Amino acid sequence: MVRRIGQSAVVLAGVSVIVFGLVHLVPGDPVRLALGTRFSQESYDALRERSGLDQPLIEQFFTWFGRALTGDLGVSFRSGETVTSQIAERLPATLTLAFASILVALLIAVPLGTISALRPRSIIDRVATVVSQFGISVPDFWMGIVLILIFAGTLGWLPSGGYVPLTEDPGAWLQRLLMPALVTGVVSGSVITRFVRSSMLEALGSDHVRTAQAKGLPTRQVFTWHVLRNALLPLVTVTGVQLAYLLSGVVVVEIVFSWPGLGQLALQAVQARDYPVLQGAILLFAVVFLVINLVVDLLYTAIDPRIRR
Amino acid sequence: MRTTRLLSLGAVGAVALTACSGGGESVDTGGGGGGGDNVLVAAVSAQPDQFDPHVTSAYPSFQVLENVYDTLVVPNPEDLTMEPSLATDWEVSEDGLTWTFNLREGVTFHDGSEFDAADVVYSYNRIIDEELNNAYRFATVESVEAVDPQTVEITVSQPTPNLPALIGAFKGMSILPEGAAEEFDLTTEAVGTGPFTLESTDASTTELAAYEDYWGGAPSIDGVEFRYITEPAAALTALQNGEVQWTDNIPPQQIESLEGDDAVELATTPSVDYWYMSMNYAREPFGNPQVRQAIATAVDRGAVTEAARFGAAQPNQTAIPEDSFYHYDYAPFEPSVEEAQALMQEAGVQTPITMGLMVTDEFPETVTAAQVIASQLEPIGIDVDVQTVDFATWLDRQAQGDFDAFMLGWLGNIDPFDFYHAQHITDGGSNYQGYSNPEVDRLLNAAATETDQATRKDLYDQAAKLIVDDVSYLYLYNPDVVQAWAPGLSGYQIRADKAINFENVELP
Repeated sequence: MVRRIGQSAVVLAGVSVIVFGLVHLVPGDPVRLALGTRFSQESYDALRERSGLDQPLIEQFFTWFGRALTGDLGVSFRSGETVTSQIAERLPATLTLAFASILVALLIAVPLGTISALRPRSIIDRVATVVSQFGISVPDFWMGIVLILIFAGTLGWLPSGGYVPLTEDPGAWLQRLLMPALVTGVVSGSVITRFVRSSMLEALGSDHVRTAQAKGLPTRQVFTWHVLRNALLPLVTVTGVQLAYLLSGVVVVEIVFSWPGLGQLALQAVQARDYPVLQGAILLFAVVFLVINLVVDLLYTAIDPRIRR
Repeated sequence: MRTTRLLSLGAVGAVALTACSGGGESVDTGGGGGGGDNVLVAAVSAQPDQFDPHVTSAYPSFQVLENVYDTLVVPNPEDLTMEPSLATDWEVSEDGLTWTFNLREGVTFHDGSEFDAADVVYSYNRIIDEELNNAYRFATVESVEAVDPQTVEITVSQPTPNLPALIGAFKGMSILPEGAAEEFDLTTEAVGTGPFTLESTDASTTELAAYEDYWGGAPSIDGVEFRYITEPAAALTALQNGEVQWTDNIPPQQIESLEGDDAVELATTPSVDYWYMSMNYAREPFGNPQVRQAIATAVDRGAVTEAARFGAAQPNQTAIPEDSFYHYDYAPFEPSVEEAQALMQEAGVQTPITMGLMVTDEFPETVTAAQVIASQLEPIGIDVDVQTVDFATWLDRQAQGDFDAFMLGWLGNIDPFDFYHAQHITDGGSNYQGYSNPEVDRLLNAAATETDQATRKDLYDQAAKLIVDDVSYLYLYNPDVVQAWAPGLSGYQIRADKAINFENVELP
């Protein structure tokens, strides 16, 4: 465990170098973008100097890296606010949407995948396949706009978008969460459904399940004890990956539903070539992936004693 | 079908108070974010990047700042000529080198401090000394001095007839209280003299409250809530179901169908923006004037406008829109494939040639327009390669001269100087195409210092004629400003400069 955390730290340091290099390699000049279309050369030089972009790149890197070690990710070019405060401001909305989407995804995927696996090639299985194909292939912005037009427009049941913190007004919070969580949940759920189905099929066909059945154990017991436990492993992995992806923001859905998450922040930072924010956001996503990997590994050992190292 | 104009420049811009019934059902927004019954909720398309008026260049920021800060003079809503704001009147010396502004009395900033000449001196010198992005507007300014608390004197090195437009065109030239940059965090706080105070801002909304001591009288609404809704379909839905009462984010393809919609009051007016295409003089054959004229003859502006703006624009072969005093009625190019082919032959160019046309998805209308232009240039042997890049890359390539041709717009122009000067004068700061015509230089320089308005217009007309004939820019159209609000909302006026001022708004 300690070794794992040590490894993660090394990975993060490597990621920092790569992130900084990539971000600065992207064509586009943040100073020119910030000034707008009309400006003089003097203004350009002054802003370049104020942003520290006139320093040699290697110096810029060590300044940034040194501060990042102390938790100071610098100041946004666009807003003049600290990167940490900008990320912190958007974390609640991102966490809310990510966990709500995973919940929706699992509510769709586990029953649907299980039934498909138990009744392969049945009507239900075929319907499930079509539904998950649909969920994967339909563009999420289209799905989002259709939902808005129906539920906020025609029916007038839900607000068209936005975000209200849970602490401020639980009713309003839930109203606004429903549609975006449904869209991202359907997309993630479609991916997870396939995993559930195939890992269930595999578990059902495995030797020890057949052995257990031959021993005359009740089906229910066989199913919960042997099949589910074996099928859970890949499910944990794929859910972890989906969660990590959701936590790094879902740009399109956030834009369609005016959801103030990290995806929008990252997109704005890319468009403005806001290096500090971009670096901070990518680093955060790297940390999220590392942490989720760690958690998935821990869950593995809890579920499957054979993996204990 | 042309858009029926609810109002245009020159018409009185009060919204007709039609007793509209019906419309979308109101959604119970569950008390989330709404600041009360008498608060205007406006859906804007993006979050302001920050609130320092001297630093930001982003339109979403200015939509908010418009209602919070004041400038010495402001564009009149009808014809955009400068009228008093924090300055009550001004005069210029006989030699055109000294401008004297008399300041309004009894004005206070939102922190309670009194407004006087020292604040003007501080604000202007902050822009000049720190080389902030509007410093170029003070290019001819030698000094800004307080004669007494109610009088400011600006000395210029050469006559600058457009000085009022330079300091009043937009809220980037706002007056801050003396020492504001040290005392406040101007990126997130605002200390203006305007009708509303900045109360709070986050990643979803920015909220303003009425300033009771506003020098122009307290607004009748209690406040404004700006809600960022990027997706136009969502913004329109929010307006139709009563979640918001105003938006400027309307799907262009739905403008025509909205005209018959009782649930929405739609307004359009020609803007002071213009969209254009330009070619790189340093890349053959685009340095050849006949090739450029052939292209200008092959392009059918009406078709481009229809596709790019669904008709919500005025085709124009010069820069300045027709409602302006400085409009010059000149349209030498009649779209004609035959004539364009003949010009290409005269130019002696081996066709087919390839032309890269650089556009940016930051402004989707340029992408659409470029595709239409591509189809129009094909018959004259020009194979257009439409290159869609993001705006940062676009600006880089423009600055490096790495293009055959590009498309973009100039937005928020007030004075003809804004429309023509830096874009076409030899080595001008915005002359990326590499145009150089000594006669145009002479005319533009003369116009820049000409104090007689009629003479000045004549100089700009002559310059514009040469610029159009030489195809320094291939002008396409002036887009309309398109905004919509709840039926029964009154006291709001749509403006050609896209300034949105909610000072006199009353909710239905």
